[in-house]
Amino acid sequence: MDSSAFTDVFDEWTDSALEWVSDNGESLFDYIRQVLEGLYDGILWLLQLPPFYLIALVVALIGWRLVNVWFALLSGIALALCFWMGLWPETMSTLALVLTATVIALAIGIPIGIAAGFFTALDRFMEPGLDLIQTLPPYIYLLPAIALLGYGPATALIATVIVAVPPAIRLTSLGIRMTPKEFIELGEALGVTPAKMFFKIRLPFALPSIMAGINQSLMMAFGMVVIAGIVGSGGLGETIYGAIRTLDIATSINGAIAIVVLTMVIDRITQSAARLGTGRKA
Amino acid sequence: MKAVNIEAKDVLIDCQSLWKVFGSKSAAAMKSIKERGLGKNEVLKEFNCVVGVSDASIEVRRGEIFCIMGLSGSGKSTLIRLLNKLITPSSGKVLVKGRDLASLSPADLRQMRAKNIGMVFQSVALLPHRTVLENAAFGLEVQGIAKAERNKTASAALEKVGLADWLSRYPNELSGGMQQRVGLARALASDPEIILMDEPFSALDPLIRRQLQDEFRQLTKALGKSAVFITHDLDEAIRIGDRIAIMKDGVIIQTGTAEEIILNPADAYVAEFVAGISRLHLIKAHSVMRSVTEFQQSAPNFDIASLARTTPDADIDELISLTMQSERDAIAVVDNDRVVGVVTPRSLLMGVKGTSAPDLTAA
Repeated sequence: MDSSAFTDVFDEWTDSALEWVSDNGESLFDYIRQVLEGLYDGILWLLQLPPFYLIALVVALIGWRLVNVWFALLSGIALALCFWMGLWPETMSTLALVLTATVIALAIGIPIGIAAGFFTALDRFMEPGLDLIQTLPPYIYLLPAIALLGYGPATALIATVIVAVPPAIRLTSLGIRMTPKEFIELGEALGVTPAKMFFKIRLPFALPSIMAGINQSLMMAFGMVVIAGIVGSGGLGETIYGAIRTLDIATSINGAIAIVVLTMVIDRITQSAARLGTGRKA
Repeated sequence: MKAVNIEAKDVLIDCQSLWKVFGSKSAAAMKSIKERGLGKNEVLKEFNCVVGVSDASIEVRRGEIFCIMGLSGSGKSTLIRLLNKLITPSSGKVLVKGRDLASLSPADLRQMRAKNIGMVFQSVALLPHRTVLENAAFGLEVQGIAKAERNKTASAALEKVGLADWLSRYPNELSGGMQQRVGLARALASDPEIILMDEPFSALDPLIRRQLQDEFRQLTKALGKSAVFITHDLDEAIRIGDRIAIMKDGVIIQTGTAEEIILNPADAYVAEFVAGISRLHLIKAHSVMRSVTEFQQSAPNFDIASLARTTPDADIDELISLTMQSERDAIAVVDNDRVVGVVTPRSLLMGVKGTSAPDLTAA
């Protein structure tokens, strides 16, 4: 048996395994799709409820409180630009995708990260897996997802969650392990219960790192959500993908501008929130 | 039976033959120390384990400041952590207020640490995101005491350490000495009977250090607390401690008052340590005085009744001043209206050298 025959066999196995999973797990995957899409639709509905200027205003206000007045002005204008380019619905559905994926990624990543922070063995066990996820080209995750969940936002969400989870796990675990030894000792000497040790001593020290993890997850999600345009995610990703296929350069650039605006606004706001929430300004 | 009870009541911390062996095979190492009497080096070679504390026994009495003095690596920091079971001993018992720490449930141990044993660290360990008041109240907060009450108690504790005006500041706004005061206030706020001080002043500059030493001693005495105080500085131990234990290589070489240690060092190591310490304020009249009969034999013409008088607790410094003021060459030591001894210039000189009375009679 030569080597190409061997890989052929391997490929066959993989295909039939995937087929078997999709045949036998159909109802399960249907259910997963419904839950994901329900969550996404809910968030999207909320974001589409107010007119664009109200959202731009709220973002500008948050930006003013958390960053500064220039950032507030700029972010308000930039969001208005998205509206004037005729891309407001797409921008909101992209935001909804990113938020949904990030919320799921954090719900998975933070608890696992906390566990990994306490149990070094778990951390060491997961490390190669996280490395693998982060080194593979991200669109790889679209393939199994599309096979199991079909064309649509659910597939985009799963692939985005996979990409957004590793930084949440890594930075949470790092934060938990970063608590200085003398504060653990202080807690023990004060007779602190394990729960209070976690919430009053470990968590405050871990918070900056966890916040950085949240920010990183968001950024990964933004990156993936555009790629997920290929599988019919909706939103700006699909706009850009469609524009590229028809060589409509103007629209693809508009979509790119909208995505950059959204990413930068969210990035700056979460970074500042992290700084304010964790460290007191000197 | 009754006498034993009274004594046990006065001893707040009683540790009997404590051992701590560090390393993955510490249990096996401990066993062969007991069975085969292995030394520190053999344990390291055979089990790759380090003996941190070796057969240490101390008693800390109510109201006393007990200093443990040793250089780095002497095991003093390990020993103090055995006293509140931050480190679990490999062998031996720690009784705090008559209760064996090893027999306490985790909840009881937490209760004991929260209520009975305060601790102050060299690193201070103030939570950076909390104000001075919140830090001082932290021990009470984790005990679940309501905010108004804990803030009141913590403010009072901060006032005792002279930080009443700094309540709403953050730790990074305070000098090292002030941070250490907050650490002390945090320990005092829970009103423990025992305070464990792990080299609290070692990182401070000498002037502040001295000030804090005096304040700490006054405060501890005024509040009627007992303290175990770790230091690598013999001067500090003498300044603060009622009794001092000297540690080397995990072993307590000698325990006693500063005077006892200086006059009768247990070995060459201790002798070398105490060589540089000024005796003027440490050695008292009762240690250097000659007996009345002996004095009368050597100087039959002296009328003891005409001599200047002092008490057995007068230190060498006072005795020198008295001798210089007096016209006669001797001072009578009087206890309860009875002359118990005579201090001569010769005995003073011996005292300054740090030699006690028995040697004096031999000479």
